Amino acid sequence: MSSDFWIILTACLVAALNALLGSFLVLRRMAMIGDAISHAVLPGIVIAYFLSQSRATLPMLVGAAATGLLVTALIEFLNRKVKLQSDASIGISFTFLFAVGVIMISYFGTNIDLDQECVLYGEIAYVPMYNIAVGGMDLGPRQVWIVGSVLLFSIVSVIWGYNRLAVTTFDPEFAASVGINVVFWQFFLMGGVSLSTVVSFESVGAVLVIALLVGPAATAYLITNRLTPMIVMAIIAGVMASVIGYYLAKYLNASIAGAISVVIGIQFAITIVIVSIRRRYNRLKYEPSQNAPV
Amino acid sequence: MIKEIKEPVIEVHNLTVVYDRKPAIWNIDFTLPKGQIIGVMGPNGSGKSTLLKAIMGVVNANTGWVKVAGEDIEGVRKRVSYVPQRQSVDWDFPATVWDVVAMGRFALKGVFKKLNADDRSVIEESLKKVNMYTFANRQISQLSGGQQQRAFLARALAQEADIYLMDEPFAGVDASTEEAIVQLLKQMKKEGKTLLVVHHDLHTAQNYFEWLVLLNTRLVASGPLTEVFDTALLEDTYGGTLTTLTKVAELLDKNDMPMRHK
Ligand SMILES: Nc1ncnc2c1ncn2[C@@H]1O[C@H](COP(=O)(O)OP(=O)(O)OP(=O)(O)O)[C@@H](O)[C@H]1O
Ligand SMILES: [Mg+2]
Repeated sequence: MSSDFWIILTACLVAALNALLGSFLVLRRMAMIGDAISHAVLPGIVIAYFLSQSRATLPMLVGAAATGLLVTALIEFLNRKVKLQSDASIGISFTFLFAVGVIMISYFGTNIDLDQECVLYGEIAYVPMYNIAVGGMDLGPRQVWIVGSVLLFSIVSVIWGYNRLAVTTFDPEFAASVGINVVFWQFFLMGGVSLSTVVSFESVGAVLVIALLVGPAATAYLITNRLTPMIVMAIIAGVMASVIGYYLAKYLNASIAGAISVVIGIQFAITIVIVSIRRRYNRLKYEPSQNAPV
Repeated sequence: MIKEIKEPVIEVHNLTVVYDRKPAIWNIDFTLPKGQIIGVMGPNGSGKSTLLKAIMGVVNANTGWVKVAGEDIEGVRKRVSYVPQRQSVDWDFPATVWDVVAMGRFALKGVFKKLNADDRSVIEESLKKVNMYTFANRQISQLSGGQQQRAFLARALAQEADIYLMDEPFAGVDASTEEAIVQLLKQMKKEGKTLLVVHHDLHTAQNYFEWLVLLNTRLVASGPLTEVFDTALLEDTYGGTLTTLTKVAELLDKNDMPMRHK
């Protein structure tokens, strides 16, 4: 199959994954935690690399997910126990962990062939270069399989915990009052975000990960009025932006991740315009017309 | 004035909750009777919401314990319903009135359980009781304050609990909605339910409650309304500010006159 197909498929899978989890983050006003996690997992990846002495995927994922949970715990701790504002808690936690990761890399120096460029800016165009083959049969790029399985796992988990995720997002005090473990569901979500962030930014880079976590969910939030449609719409918007972004990049001969991010921004802007026009139109419809008796 | 009773439905002992080194409630000790409408009153920041949350175990107590129906709250959660202050949630959340009320049913079920026909009819009934059935499919961001409050009450009704803890159910609702809610509370009382209601208006308190808890970080009083609704205790609760003192004076003038009855 053509490399176009694989790149678009990877982008769509990454988009769907991030739109799904991003919907909950946006509603919990924690959109920027994706940014934090995507940086904070660096030391986890380095340690996993160091312990396993390989760039195998599984240890990396475990290391990343563990650090993701660690940064979530750190943020929760600073926010709830130390009573630091949540943005300050996020800022301190992830810059600290990211810096630890950077120091680790420079300390172990040449022993580690982790590409920092790739970690931050991941290049989706290279995805088709790392195919996996079983028994001589080409099964397509490794990334497609990794992101695909994390997506499947996330969908199953979200469906399983859907009502709990919804109620702890909308009204955590009520949720606690009926005996739901609010902290568990917070970590459940954050564990998923850590996992998805790390598999995503390996292929599309940190910036597009944030764009995909926040943009489609924010767009969907504007045009839907229930949770399930919002999530579905976010996934559709993310997938659409990926396809359009890919061809835009090809046409302009520009970076694919950059083009997708731009399309996400444009999508959001167009939605705002449409929503406000619709609102104004509705208002005109109900306001007394000029001919009405004064 | 703290009146203790036998076989209380809620028993609070030595309860203290401290946020940031500053106590929100301090050494609270009381017992509440079953099957009554009980008012919790006190000035802003006096710890009313904290008391309700501590009873539900939503905030952790620093000292003391709570027993509900003679048991630890963990054992009786399904029989107790908590209605948070309306302002505590984001009403722009993408959900319909139905979705919010359904949360009251999901609360009783395990993870990954679907609503069945019984659940749906309970939700429908609950919506009808608060006169919100016609709004079932409306997005919650498009509700007025009073409608939001009624959606919260419907969610509580859907829990089919025996004991209800309601944080300011009358805040920001108009007179007719307030009246409708009061009728609902009285109906629930008739069905044997116990209602603990945080309330702000001294004028109406006399008509709504049979038992009153007065709070100002410390417990000022807990007892039958007729014994607790008294100048000295109210002054103790609301402090010496000019406006509240005038209010209390006005109320006492009124007290000499026959109480309003409907
Ligand atoms: N999460 C919190 N963190 C820190 N302090 C808090 C928190 N919640 C409440 N407080 C403080 O505890 C005290 C009691 O608050 P609480 O909300 O229980 O009062 P209240 O009687 O319900 O007030 P209101 O009538 O305004 O609703 C207040 O001084 C408040 O500032
Ligand atoms: Mg309060």
